Amino acid sequence: MSDQPVPAEAAPSRNLVQFVLRLREAGVVVFLVLLGLTFGLLNDRFLSVQNLTIVASSAAILAIAACAQGVVLITRNLDVSVGSMMGLVAYLTADWTANHPGISPAEVVAIAVVLGIGLGAINGLLVAYGKVPALIGTLGTMSLYRGLTYIYAHGQEVSSSRLPHWMLESADIRIAGCPIYVIIAIIIVMAVAWFLYAYPLGRRIYAVGSNGVAAWFFGLRAERVVMFAYVLCGFLCGIAGLLYAARVGTVNVVLASGWEMSSLAAAVIGGVSVSGGSGTVIGAALGAVVLAAIDNGLVLLRVPEFWRMFIQGAAIVAAVAVDALIAEAIRRSTAGRRR
Amino acid sequence: MSAIESGQPIREPIMALKGIGKSFGPVKALEDVGFDVYPGCVHGLVGENGAGKSTLVKIITGLEQADEGEVILAGKSVAFRTPIEARSHGVAAVYQDPKLFPHLSVAENIAMGAYPAGWLGGLDRRRMIETARHHLARLGSDLDPRRTVAGLSVAEHQFVEIARALSADVRVLILDEPTSALTPTEAERLFAVMRALRDRGTAVIFITHRLEEIEALSDTITVLRDRRHVATLPRAEVDRAKLVQLMVGRPLETLFTRRDRPSFGAEVLRVEHLSLEGVFADVSFSVRAGEIVGMGGLVGAGRTEIAQTLFGITPPTSGDFYLKGEKVAPNSPRQMLGKGLAYLPEDRDRDGLIMPETITHNITLPILKTLSRWAVIDRAGERRVAAKASETYNVRTPSVEAIVSSLSGGNRQKVAFAKWLATEPVALILDEPTHGIDIGSKAQVHAMVSQLADRGLAVVLISSDLPELIAMSDRILVIAEGALVAEFAHDEATQEKVMLAAARQSGRRRG
Repeated sequence: MSDQPVPAEAAPSRNLVQFVLRLREAGVVVFLVLLGLTFGLLNDRFLSVQNLTIVASSAAILAIAACAQGVVLITRNLDVSVGSMMGLVAYLTADWTANHPGISPAEVVAIAVVLGIGLGAINGLLVAYGKVPALIGTLGTMSLYRGLTYIYAHGQEVSSSRLPHWMLESADIRIAGCPIYVIIAIIIVMAVAWFLYAYPLGRRIYAVGSNGVAAWFFGLRAERVVMFAYVLCGFLCGIAGLLYAARVGTVNVVLASGWEMSSLAAAVIGGVSVSGGSGTVIGAALGAVVLAAIDNGLVLLRVPEFWRMFIQGAAIVAAVAVDALIAEAIRRSTAGRRR
Repeated sequence: MSAIESGQPIREPIMALKGIGKSFGPVKALEDVGFDVYPGCVHGLVGENGAGKSTLVKIITGLEQADEGEVILAGKSVAFRTPIEARSHGVAAVYQDPKLFPHLSVAENIAMGAYPAGWLGGLDRRRMIETARHHLARLGSDLDPRRTVAGLSVAEHQFVEIARALSADVRVLILDEPTSALTPTEAERLFAVMRALRDRGTAVIFITHRLEEIEALSDTITVLRDRRHVATLPRAEVDRAKLVQLMVGRPLETLFTRRDRPSFGAEVLRVEHLSLEGVFADVSFSVRAGEIVGMGGLVGAGRTEIAQTLFGITPPTSGDFYLKGEKVAPNSPRQMLGKGLAYLPEDRDRDGLIMPETITHNITLPILKTLSRWAVIDRAGERRVAAKASETYNVRTPSVEAIVSSLSGGNRQKVAFAKWLATEPVALILDEPTHGIDIGSKAQVHAMVSQLADRGLAVVLISSDLPELIAMSDRILVIAEGALVAEFAHDEATQEKVMLAAARQSGRRRG
């Protein structure tokens, strides 16, 4: 059999798609560097070690939440209950800890993680098995979880004075000068990224999001994969909620509200496609760093709050627009028939 | 399995199908289909559109479960629950439009489901890429396994799918219309691969509409017709004429209401050199008032696309279109409805009707403007129109306020008719109007179409049901691969002639 010449017309579009797919995370890094340089030029404090540590710390928890959101997005679904899950887990765990003096750190972590998995599983059952559209289903649980927090809290907050010292001080621990939360976030994101990259179930998460019809024809059980993604998301939100509670000390009922939007923004800015199948959780975490850097830079430049919101919103819209263009290019190149 | 002489079936069948039956609700999708498939053999599977080929493939690969009968693989009865299970037993299918994961690499697509395990239970990527390269090389392809699937050509997609089947040590490979999107050179290359696999002892089940390909490649041929098994014959015992006869030679199932003396009026619709780039080219025809012009051809030949272009859904790239002598440039359905052209889409449930709405709301949707006064809809008038239309088109329903999705297929089709005819068109395009409805309702639809033509409408009837096409049409146009290839008057058309014209292979792919 002789080699077939590649059809000439197909070549440019295919190269473009390949190029853009690879470019995405690199693009985020380049953007981050440019952003840093710009802020650095405008304000000499921005690039100080001290300030960069602040940026990293404030990005750490968001990076975990963005990673949670990213896993779900890759399956071509969405979880808008991320903030509510974090809030409910944070409140219940803090309350339990406050009422059980002498509880060990391992027990506290276990409670948060189990709660997170449970809440994620409810989302998973709704979306994967109940066939409720992801947006509607998790919009429902978003209110539900937040409502439960209010009901349980009865208008009370868990004050920092009732929490154990080790919990409150954990946020200040540094290893070789690096805040422990940053290290935890890096370890978690790398672990999830490695799992998605190197394990069969991880690859199936991408496969289901990439082409649901193909998954069905192939015989993949998409429900199980989507279920798993939501459970993983809940698990990560449990950890993020606990870390948040420990950092702020006083846990109230509105903790992490609005984080569904920030986590989504971070993931999309980091190159995770809302149309599924592409992007990485490392990208999502980098997206969280971008958001934190923008926020920090604008504060240093004394830009008023409403402008910060506006600029954050513009960044999200731009990222989604780029994502839509790329998704369209991919759809065209795999439309099946040549037209 | 050792290599055997090509074309010499050995005794034991690798796969035997026995009395396979399948129903979807009240609709029979397959009845009592049974044949044997031998290793080292290409087994051609032919039949008209809707003969049950695809359902059979889905049952064999575990996408659907059979209600009756059994599949016997190498002497053992099997009932696969998923395609993954089927693949692990050496049974795999490659589909007409390949089903791959565009964001993943070629190697990942090939290894999906059977990843080589490495460190800590993770993927052994190096081995995965090597395996992929090896299987692609067996097919004579030097595609880079690390490449992302997005952006590959259809032929390359297909090679990846076949490589995936080979990686599972395939014993029975099913190719469902693999050549429909390939260029002739690409198809030749695929055939070479098929022959090589056969010579290595793989059983290949080959489904195609192109009879030339069946004749050139098959060792055995099975014909399905009307969801039943008709015959399984060695290649040597059949020729093209016999194949066609076996495929279409069904007993006449219904009496078609045929108009006694069609009288045609003036020309209503005229199409000149109509083209849509890459889809169909240079199509010219005309239809007079009172005339039914049938459009035959295979699924995917471009008939629906022509209809949709005339109706303004996808505007043409060149050519002219005249309605009642007036030149129109179709660019939206709304505009074409205004000019007096109506189109009943093939998939009426998806494209034609709003299922969760009432009969009334469906029928009056295209004419709401005329029913409104000061932008407020006259509800009573709406119900009157709907009730009258339901009566005219014989919709069997307790009330015009019934929800459309609760009606039977035939009644839904009548509602669809009523809906478009409420716009009082001068020309009507019907796309597979009797597809998926029962025989009784079919006859009623036929009567209705005849009546409409008698009332002076120009009718274009797209149908893959050959007896229907021939009985109903005053003239028949045959479309193949996006071109008008034949025209028959009512008296000279036979099922065989139409089938032969439709199945011709032009040797040159459109576009």
